[in-house]
Amino acid sequence: MIETDISSQRRAPHPPAAPHAIANPARKTTRILLASLALITLYALATIAPDNVDLGVAGKSFLHNLDLMFLHPHLGQDTLAQLVDALARSIALALLTTLIGAVIAFGLALFTARNLAPAPLATAMRSLMALIRAIPTILWVLVYATVIGLGTEAAVVGLSFHSVAYLVKAFAESFEAVPQEKLDALRVSGARFGLVIRHALWPSVRPSLLSWTFIRFEINFTNAVAVGAAAGTGGIGYYLFMSSAFYFDFQEVGLIVYLVLAFAILLEMIAVALRKHLAKMV
Amino acid sequence: MLTVSHLTKTYPNGKRGLIDVGFSIAPGSVTAIIGPSGAGKTTLLRSLNRLLTPEAGEIQLGNQEMRQLPPRALRLVRRQIGMIFQDYNLIEPLSALENVLHGCLGRKSLAAGMLGLYTKEEKKQALTLLEEVGLGDYALQKAGSLSGGQKQRVGIARAMMQAPQVILCDEPIASLDPASTHTVMTLLKDLAIQHDLMVIINLHQVDLAREFADHILGVNAGRIVFDDGPAALSDEALAHIYAAPEEAAYG
Repeated sequence: MIETDISSQRRAPHPPAAPHAIANPARKTTRILLASLALITLYALATIAPDNVDLGVAGKSFLHNLDLMFLHPHLGQDTLAQLVDALARSIALALLTTLIGAVIAFGLALFTARNLAPAPLATAMRSLMALIRAIPTILWVLVYATVIGLGTEAAVVGLSFHSVAYLVKAFAESFEAVPQEKLDALRVSGARFGLVIRHALWPSVRPSLLSWTFIRFEINFTNAVAVGAAAGTGGIGYYLFMSSAFYFDFQEVGLIVYLVLAFAILLEMIAVALRKHLAKMV
Repeated sequence: MLTVSHLTKTYPNGKRGLIDVGFSIAPGSVTAIIGPSGAGKTTLLRSLNRLLTPEAGEIQLGNQEMRQLPPRALRLVRRQIGMIFQDYNLIEPLSALENVLHGCLGRKSLAAGMLGLYTKEEKKQALTLLEEVGLGDYALQKAGSLSGGQKQRVGIARAMMQAPQVILCDEPIASLDPASTHTVMTLLKDLAIQHDLMVIINLHQVDLAREFADHILGVNAGRIVFDDGPAALSDEALAHIYAAPEEAAYG
């Protein structure tokens, strides 16, 4: 199926091509790929040694755990106040790092946008930011943890660091979408560069900067939960880690997941409202 | 008085934009620059406020030579020169009034400008200008929601807010319908007379140049080939202005 789909797509722009094209290189590659995948799968199935696993028992206990988690969420080691407080800490971590990231990114994006900065500088900034972005946020937190020590400080610095690189790219692209002539129109009236930024660029990009920053807030919330477990930052991620990997308290895991989900839904509702508001601004 | 002499501009790709261009313009007049596409009309207009910098010649505004001015001094001279554009270049999410107020940013200190603090006089002046261009009722509307002709009039009010000596107009009516075209051209002409301005307009339409201009510059292949009043714009002169470049070079 897949092969015929691909080959018919390939042939589509050349209708007069022979119906049985021979030696199509793309087709050959696809065949080799599929054959290798099939071989690997067979090898894996033959060697995974499920000797000690009774699929019936395993399946049953899996369903039992799911049932405990999601149908009977319950408090365990910790009080609800503790969990809500931890959730608030994770949200605060996300909010703080997003704000730090956005403010620094705005400044740096002025040196990254091709319509504002000299070309060599813009290219250098762009490459540097791409390099920083290529390394996942969690790794940056761990990198900073070796410098600052495991804990909140490393999480704040690491999360902010990656946020800056992410937002610089997004902001710079928003800046570049403003036509050069609109900036020139104020520049040739004798306005200083700072005032051109403030009065021509800023009002034009404000909605898109807000929406990028909000997206980053969502990403940072996810990251904040994860670093709670991975970098000893505390927050809801730490409780999730302890209740699942330490106490095997699946009921509490379920409750925590629901708490995080509730906040995610709230975020989504805010996002929708924000989008409506921004649509009115433009 | 704006006097241009021996102005020459060569683009980095070797194309010659302007060749030994010279003319002078008196206050209280409308000057139209006409000529075939690619003749150098836009290059000429944009050299006058240094959006482009010619490599030789002089641009003299009053007693100030502009071509060689360093950035800081250039900023001060640019306050005297307003500009309006074919695509208006308004900041569309802002109100018409805010766009007009942008005209006085050149005079603002960095601190006051950053905070967006306009004085009462400035706000009054901006409102008066909007009324003058017939948009008093639209002051608080978003610029983006106005029609093309209205946007161009906001652009004119923004340029007037600079209290300029010169207004440069780069194809100001190329995106407008005939009725708006007439409104905008009449407005520019009236402003030139009332405020003793030098209005310089790039135009494609010869009949508009004849109707509204006091002074016509014909440009062909980077050279001024006509420099006279509209009465002198005979069919012969027109043919010369719009001649294919090779002929003009020998004309």
